[in-house]
Amino acid sequence: MKRRRFLQAVAAAPAAPLAAQQAAAPPQAAPGARQPAGSFRGAQSAPQLEIAAADLSAPPAAPTFFTPVQFAALRRLGNLLQPAMKGHPGALEAGAPEFLDFIVGISPVDRQKLYRDGLDALNARAKKQFQKSFADLDDRQADAIVRPQLVVIAWSEDLPRDPLKHFVAQAHRDFRTATQNSREWATSGASSGRRGGRGFGGGSGLYWLPIDPVVRG
Amino acid sequence: MAVKPYDVLIVGSGHSGGMAAKILTEKGISCLMLNAGPQADFARDRVTKPVYELPYRGFGEPGRHPHIYQANEFNANQWVDEREVPYTYPADLPYNWVRVRLLGGRSLFWARESFRLSDYEFKAAEIDGGGDSWPISHADLDPYYSRVEGIFRVAGRKEGWPQFPDGNFVDTSYPPDSQTIQKVIELATARGIGCSKGRVSMGENGLASSINLLLPDALATGRLDIVPNAIVREITTDKNTGLANGAYFIDRHSRREMHAQARVVILAAGCLETTRLLLNSGIANSSGVLGHYLVDQIYGINVVASVPEARDGKAPQGLMGGNTFMPRFRTLKTTEKHNFIKGYCMRISSGGGANPELFAEYGEELQKKLDSYAGSCVSAGMYGERVARFENHVRINHDVKDAWGIPVLHIEAKDSDNERNLAKDAADTAEELFHAAGWEMVSRTERYNPPGYSIHELGTARMGDNPKTSVLNKFNQSHDIKNLFVVDGAAFVTCGWQNPTMTILALAMRASEYCAEQMRTAAL
Repeated sequence: MKRRRFLQAVAAAPAAPLAAQQAAAPPQAAPGARQPAGSFRGAQSAPQLEIAAADLSAPPAAPTFFTPVQFAALRRLGNLLQPAMKGHPGALEAGAPEFLDFIVGISPVDRQKLYRDGLDALNARAKKQFQKSFADLDDRQADAIVRPQLVVIAWSEDLPRDPLKHFVAQAHRDFRTATQNSREWATSGASSGRRGGRGFGGGSGLYWLPIDPVVRG
Repeated sequence: MAVKPYDVLIVGSGHSGGMAAKILTEKGISCLMLNAGPQADFARDRVTKPVYELPYRGFGEPGRHPHIYQANEFNANQWVDEREVPYTYPADLPYNWVRVRLLGGRSLFWARESFRLSDYEFKAAEIDGGGDSWPISHADLDPYYSRVEGIFRVAGRKEGWPQFPDGNFVDTSYPPDSQTIQKVIELATARGIGCSKGRVSMGENGLASSINLLLPDALATGRLDIVPNAIVREITTDKNTGLANGAYFIDRHSRREMHAQARVVILAAGCLETTRLLLNSGIANSSGVLGHYLVDQIYGINVVASVPEARDGKAPQGLMGGNTFMPRFRTLKTTEKHNFIKGYCMRISSGGGANPELFAEYGEELQKKLDSYAGSCVSAGMYGERVARFENHVRINHDVKDAWGIPVLHIEAKDSDNERNLAKDAADTAEELFHAAGWEMVSRTERYNPPGYSIHELGTARMGDNPKTSVLNKFNQSHDIKNLFVVDGAAFVTCGWQNPTMTILALAMRASEYCAEQMRTAAL
């Protein structure tokens, strides 16, 4: 099933009328039933508070997963691959490097290694070609290192075998997603309004909360 | 603790279990339905959120659903978490097992594509020798298909093509095809490729599920009890007669084990969960083929072209948009020579843009490309038939247990050159059409997704006339245990290129009516 078709199917599903749900009303005490002394009568209703969403997108002061040198290279790469344009924020304005520091830090080890080795390789090449760290390269110099690593990906699961090309492709994908899915992008006044997902889109969608989850100690 | 005895125990609540419950209860038979998961409340359990408010900014929790390509952070909680119910596979043969345990199962979320199988699939052995034939033909299933199509309100265009049997369709009008789709149809027709429209279950209010089209009717009879969060561990049999007499099940939350009794047991747990249950119960396998002949469809290829007149936002009205659906068109005649048997369908869509990863660019240069190609692309994808082979199988892995202590499945499914050649032919065909149309090729790949991706896993408890080579008879009834039925996709012999839901439903309806008649005449 195509992902988009599946999403459409989910989005189209309405609140389901289901006879079985009707049996789920909570038991109620008989009218006039005495409550034990000191007990609380179960609340029949409660106010729904208006809770404004706090702006918590400000980045932390320092990276927690990458080293400072790696993180500086990551920021430089993000600014190169996904700059601000057409009224949209770029990776830096969207806090994408800080978000990637978080998400890569909780990802499987192969993803962590891909990023760390990739950033180290960018720094090594920058040192060799320009005697600078990658973070200090100007656009022309950074392009000289990154452009040879770009490849066409005709099938999304087929990322390049070469580790550096693989890293650049993955980071490019992740910077686009992290930027376009950011609060800053959505509030830039140019949001696409598309249903968001893992892919490139931003926007809003119907989020399934955990459904009757099993709680384990 | 034992619960009260019922006439029939139904394991699973999706399309097949829902159909069994509807048919049996409407004939006066009491049913108990056990479902492994909870009931979702579409109003309470879903909220509209902007993607930036999700915990992982739309990336999803890393590593949570490594085999569910359909998962995103919005829908992550609807799927079975494989950390809770794992499965194993050889390291070089990944399998995408995509499951839903909510009441209604995968019928809540399916794409609603609604096709019949044809005798090209039912009579596979006679047609091409690839896989065995079913013990039934399209004519046997035709009246059941028609009734199912009526319940599900299938919209489709009648064509009169033997590989694409028409059905009992609701009246539908289609908007005029765009000029690009007209061009595709003209070129394809000249090459002997028939172009039609997709066939879709309209259902009610956009939902065509067990929970709105089948279970309400069953509940209205007062003869159906549904127990959610009931994970069936083992089908039990009578020591003296060998007949099935119920099942042990585990409450999902408390892990308390209970037993349900019934005169007849119907399995509808969703193909591989049904087979896992039979294998863990050690029953219904005198043939030795239980777990074998696992199939599903190849979903793949991506061929993209751009229409030059539509670039840079200059497409005139009526040039772009819409799609055409090409039902199987290969190997329909024995005189055709290909390096494959079976076939595939193809859908060609007009009016999309280009994926950014199709350009080795970044930044503003990439954005210029995307802006230029936006709305100008025509793309092709295919669903193809995998050949049913004995060696593609599932078995129990006793070394790994799920969160409720039940041994898990080990799945081994490997493609052959036939599958690869099918996909290549589809990509070649699409590319040639786009070239002939004079469009600029943007991308072409004949890659396809791993087995299981289609969410159409089928077979592993196949039907047949010979008890030595099949698990079920032509009425989905166990050869070994006559009061045991399997009404989900496990019964399939071949998978075809078609989405299987209509066939699952028609078989479940037919099997349930047969079961009811057997119970009425006391044969069961």
